Amino acid sequence: MLLARRNLFRDRTRFLLSVLGVAVSVGLILLLAGYRAGVYRQASAYLDNAPGSVVVAEKGIRDFLGTSSVLPAGSLAAIRAAPGVDRVVPVVSQFVIFERHGRKDGFFLIGYDPASGGGPWRLVDGREPRADDELVLDRTTARQHDIAIGDEVTLLDRQATVVGLADDTTFWAGSIAFARITTLESLLRAPGLRSFLLVTPAGGVSPEALRGQLTVPGADVLLKSDVVANDAKLLARVFDAPIGLMVAIAFIVGVLVVGLVIYTATIERRREYGAVKAIGARNRTLYRVVAIQAVIAAIVGAMAGIGLAIAAGAALMSWRPQFLVAIEPPAVAAVLASSLLMALLAALIPARSIARLEPAEVFR
Amino acid sequence: MTELTLDVRDISKRFGDGETGVLAVRDVSLAIEPGEIVLIMGPSGSGKTTLLSMMGALLRPTSGSIHLDGMPISMMSEDRLPDIRLRQIGFIFQDFNLLSALTTLENVSVVAELAGVKGRAARGRAQALLSDLGLGERLDFLPEKLSGGEKQRVAIARALVNDPPLILADEPTANLDSKIGHEIMRLLRAVAKQEGRSVVIVSHDERIRDIADRVLWLEDGALRDIVTMATDPVCGMAIERERAVSAARDGETWYFCSRGCRAEYLGGPTAEAVIEGPAGDRQAADRER
Ligand SMILES: Nc1ncnc2c1ncn2[C@@H]1O[C@H](COP(=O)(O)OP(=O)(O)OP(=O)(O)O)[C@@H](O)[C@H]1O
Ligand SMILES: [Mg+2]
Repeated sequence: MLLARRNLFRDRTRFLLSVLGVAVSVGLILLLAGYRAGVYRQASAYLDNAPGSVVVAEKGIRDFLGTSSVLPAGSLAAIRAAPGVDRVVPVVSQFVIFERHGRKDGFFLIGYDPASGGGPWRLVDGREPRADDELVLDRTTARQHDIAIGDEVTLLDRQATVVGLADDTTFWAGSIAFARITTLESLLRAPGLRSFLLVTPAGGVSPEALRGQLTVPGADVLLKSDVVANDAKLLARVFDAPIGLMVAIAFIVGVLVVGLVIYTATIERRREYGAVKAIGARNRTLYRVVAIQAVIAAIVGAMAGIGLAIAAGAALMSWRPQFLVAIEPPAVAAVLASSLLMALLAALIPARSIARLEPAEVFR
Repeated sequence: MTELTLDVRDISKRFGDGETGVLAVRDVSLAIEPGEIVLIMGPSGSGKTTLLSMMGALLRPTSGSIHLDGMPISMMSEDRLPDIRLRQIGFIFQDFNLLSALTTLENVSVVAELAGVKGRAARGRAQALLSDLGLGERLDFLPEKLSGGEKQRVAIARALVNDPPLILADEPTANLDSKIGHEIMRLLRAVAKQEGRSVVIVSHDERIRDIADRVLWLEDGALRDIVTMATDPVCGMAIERERAVSAARDGETWYFCSRGCRAEYLGGPTAEAVIEGPAGDRQAADRER
């Protein structure tokens, strides 16, 4: 409606202020959502990139990152021999602390067999480990610790040489490092240790069917997607409350900024709105005028906010590569919708004073 | 019997209750015919605005009834009133109350749009009205760029745009200098007369008395002597009958601004005339020859 548009653009400063308010709020929401999505994506990166769609874990273990799993001896042979199984990748996983230059860092060490798979999926430098004292590190972690290929690091009670650097291997609790299975067996003094088996079904067999037909005493057979979801739940317990709180605060701030700007604009034009009401406009017409102003401000603000979030995310990622800010289209859509909601809530703030405007007042 | 535009019967308005209550309007009745221009005068606080607000369906009388074109607006549900105000009544305010963010043209067309006229037609109607009122060159101006007289002309166009049978104006000239104010009133009279609209004007302004067909005096919320206007046949000036000198001739009564005019009209001592003095002090009957 014309009046809404004109009233809004008449006062540029005020319009820019409300746009800025929404932009900051929406940008922050999107950045937080992107950060959260990035955390989730990084957390599932290993399983997403490892072969197989079915995971065999110790009985009672439901996730990959949260607990260490120890499969009963003989599981590997039993699964390999089972019908409907195409490929089995055994891995050992252990959270370890390593030290260099007196600075400690934790990482998730994956033991794998280079011959069967489950190793780094983006090796950006060097090679995979060939001997038991060799290690592939995450590139960003290596850079932060000033580690180059050929350097030695202390791993529990022994030394290991970094022979390769991988990318896409940071996550919220640190980073992923890769070694041979035998390295972990000796490091943990547990010969024959297997944590998980990543199983690929034979052609024509669905992961669900395979899960149904595989049974191993002392072990559970899970869908990889369920394990990923369980890891995400673990994360959700840690991340979702604070991120949700921050998103809620950003949202409320956005509502308040737009609301106050629209409110003062409305109060300032109180007399004009009163005259329009006396002339015969209904309350709902005036609500619409106010709501349209809020919606225009919110949409322009949301656009700016999306740009802001993308720029800030890119800046953050280049400054701190271990962070992944994944701004996904559904989040953008959600944020646009939330800016609309912001506008409508904001429009409620002056709605009351419009409703209470007595048209007879204009003659005073 | 002609259909009345506005039929006000025994309306009163009380603000607040009990000791602190104010009876702003008491038992006012008046009838306004199509095309009639009525001026309501009276001291400050006498209830003029309150009366006008009730006639404009902005305020409900405490008692009594108001019919507008036969519709009982004082009894209608709140819900129907905006539509009545929009289509049946044109409002003109003391401080113009134009929408500051809209241009002259938009200020008028937006009111037509409120009444459901589509954009292009609304603009066409607004433009025609504004041109008639001499604002054809000011269509794209914002109100802040207009003079007071121009603003009030925009307000008149706005009041007319939905073709209402009744126009209500509260102190329309108070913010204008007297010459412009008078001009505005003449304009208002002309547009009202052309279309047969009734106009009720509330004003303190003595100088606009002459454009009214009838002047009402409100005091303490009640109407006092009803003053009727007449035109001096000699000098053409508008005068109040009750306060004017008059003479009867050929079975008709004539009113004059002054004894001089009357003397001139009567044209000499032979005329048989009944002469009256000012109505205010009726005891002073003038016996001039
Ligand atoms: N909303 C209201 N609440 C209480 N009292 C009111 C209200 N509106 C008017 N009054 C009182 O009613 C009386 C008449 O007021 P009104 O405004 O109608 O007078 P007026 O003749 O228009 O005066 P003026 O020439 O100064 O504009 C005054 O005593 C005023 O204080
Ligand atoms: Mg008044």
